[in-house]
Amino acid sequence: MEKTKSYKTAFALLILALIITFLLNISLGSVSIPLNEIFSILTGNGASKKTWEHIILDYRVPKTIVAVMAGGGLAVSGLLMQTLFRNPLAGPFVLGISSGASLGVAFLILGASAIGGVFGNLLMNQWNIVLAAGLGSFLVLLAVLAASFKIRDTMTILIIGLMFGSVTTAIVSVLSYFSDAEQLQQYVFWSFGSLGNQSREGVGILFICLLTGLILSIFSSKSLNSLLLGENYARSMGLHIKRTTVIIILATSILAGSITAFAGPIAFVGLAVPHLVRQVFKTSDHFILMPAVLLSGSILMLICDTLAQLPFSTQTLPINAITSLVGAPVVIWLLVRKRKLFF
Amino acid sequence: MFYLRSLIFLLVFLLIFSCNQKEKKQDSSISSTESITLTHHASSFEIQDFGNYYIIEIKTPWPDSDKGFKYLLVREGVEVPGSENFDEVLQIPVKTIAVTSTTHIPSLEMLGVENALIGFPNPDFISSEKTRKRIKEGKIKDFGKNEDINTEILIELSPDVLVGFGMDGTNPSFPLIRKSGIPVLYNADWTETSPLGKAEWIKFFGVLFDKTEEAEEIFNDIVTQYNEAKALALQSKTKPTVISGAMYRDIWYVPQGNSWGARFIEDAHGDYLWKDSPGTGSLALNLEQVIEKGLEAEFWIGPGQFTSFSELKDASASYSKFEAFQNKNIFTYNLRKGEKGGSVYFELAPNRPDLVLKDMIKILHPELLEDYEPYFFDKLR
Repeated sequence: MEKTKSYKTAFALLILALIITFLLNISLGSVSIPLNEIFSILTGNGASKKTWEHIILDYRVPKTIVAVMAGGGLAVSGLLMQTLFRNPLAGPFVLGISSGASLGVAFLILGASAIGGVFGNLLMNQWNIVLAAGLGSFLVLLAVLAASFKIRDTMTILIIGLMFGSVTTAIVSVLSYFSDAEQLQQYVFWSFGSLGNQSREGVGILFICLLTGLILSIFSSKSLNSLLLGENYARSMGLHIKRTTVIIILATSILAGSITAFAGPIAFVGLAVPHLVRQVFKTSDHFILMPAVLLSGSILMLICDTLAQLPFSTQTLPINAITSLVGAPVVIWLLVRKRKLFF
Repeated sequence: MFYLRSLIFLLVFLLIFSCNQKEKKQDSSISSTESITLTHHASSFEIQDFGNYYIIEIKTPWPDSDKGFKYLLVREGVEVPGSENFDEVLQIPVKTIAVTSTTHIPSLEMLGVENALIGFPNPDFISSEKTRKRIKEGKIKDFGKNEDINTEILIELSPDVLVGFGMDGTNPSFPLIRKSGIPVLYNADWTETSPLGKAEWIKFFGVLFDKTEEAEEIFNDIVTQYNEAKALALQSKTKPTVISGAMYRDIWYVPQGNSWGARFIEDAHGDYLWKDSPGTGSLALNLEQVIEKGLEAEFWIGPGQFTSFSELKDASASYSKFEAFQNKNIFTYNLRKGEKGGSVYFELAPNRPDLVLKDMIKILHPELLEDYEPYFFDKLR
């Protein structure tokens, strides 16, 4: 009884924090807009300046929604991987999903000069990068899934995922070596990650992907709890290990793959948030962990994006760097204080 | 079963995206009316003058592009049917403008409309004193980087038009900027390889500000100057050999024969040693190939980032074996910098091929232009 009550308070606090950071993220940006104007725009009453409406509705709101989805989705897929592989170092990208996406984008941007116009005839627009990244991570997913059908041992799948990652990284290096400075710059900018400049259609597609991934994850909660006790024990409890593994890999790939396709590779959130949540909640029950990780991931991403915008200045910082810069000290502090990793 | 599910996922993904690919624009019915073509040297764009309105067609917005852009520029109060067939429709003259490349700045200044410029990504790159003064007065707002435009700031700035450029069509900021009502025009001056073709892009800005006659006059003057200089160079009896470029790590990059830079050497009556290489970009050679061909070349123009003989020698002892090095005949455009370190050559040279050519003639045939002071090039220190 006592425990359920404290979880309720914790969740109430998390939801409150999410609302606050959400609003904070919308109100702060390069252009300073008064709070009452923002309120008036969000409630549909318009603003005294037309440009402010465009900034809030077309730029900041989609960016904030993407931040919520990306943070939550990455954190959940990190949790899935850590539990599946029973390894505290696992994250959403251990299976080579971000490397696959990088490879797709590298072929698109850098491939033209290196292999001579494979994509030269492609109609270039902002969707192509999303498509290339999506296809890249999807192909890696197929390869990993094929492997997981054949292989019993989850640890072997982890190693195979790492190998896929190494191969794709190597191909990207070769492509980079033969590319122009301008193309490299463009690729590097993609690899910094970016939550902004999303179209409404993009946000919609990302939402559908995330919903699919999250539903699969929630359905796996019970299996995940049994997996924590070891594969043999889980099997003795009647768990179909292979099917569970495939569902979890599929969920992770849909979550991390779609986020990477739209926002680029965003590091750290997926690795750190599950640890943060476990330290605070002191439980391994996935029915509690999953929603807590989802909320905390979103909150962390909103805070990081707000900082990355460097409010009121022209400059912005790459989100990929900020997540680690902000997140790592928090995790270190928690671990040092508690002296023990709760896993 | 899971394969099937994945396949469906992929198909849905593809479907959604293919729906978003816009159909290519149909040729507009109105282009059949009487018009005068205003461009003669450039191959990357064309301007049609219909009297009360103009059509600008960007043929190669970026190299190997499979699509072009068509812009309709209309004087106030003029109705043009079929305007929905264009990528952008603009009312001219524009009153405020944001540009993204320093090569756009000289056109604005030469047309006398530099006061319309209100935004530029990282204005430190701009060298021109006129525009630097306006930056200091805070009249030109910084909006990030070209590849990573600060969308918020640009929307807040709301220029009448944003003149952008793209290595390809993937700049993620452009769709949102257009959605907020700011037209985005692609400028492809950088894809142009002929000296006069590059300079002709002043007419693009001429149309935007409804100053086509002024642009025509300025450009024609440059053409005359250029052709006179070219004729002068032909009077020289010698045709000195020229090498270019420098090594990055162990690869020596030299401009190809049809590139913008190589054409000046040809027109200045110089013998560029890679003039027969067909492309317009640069060749990646190893040191041996360059030594074999260029060790005895008389001149070395544009040695990468190097600005002094000692720097060259420190970077690689092989450089000092070249005859041009021993005779101190190496010239660079890197010594003329703007107040904040921007390159004067990269900014102004595309617009003033006449000055670049005269500089080259002064280097290769100093006897032909005795009183001329070079504008961009200096001997290495």
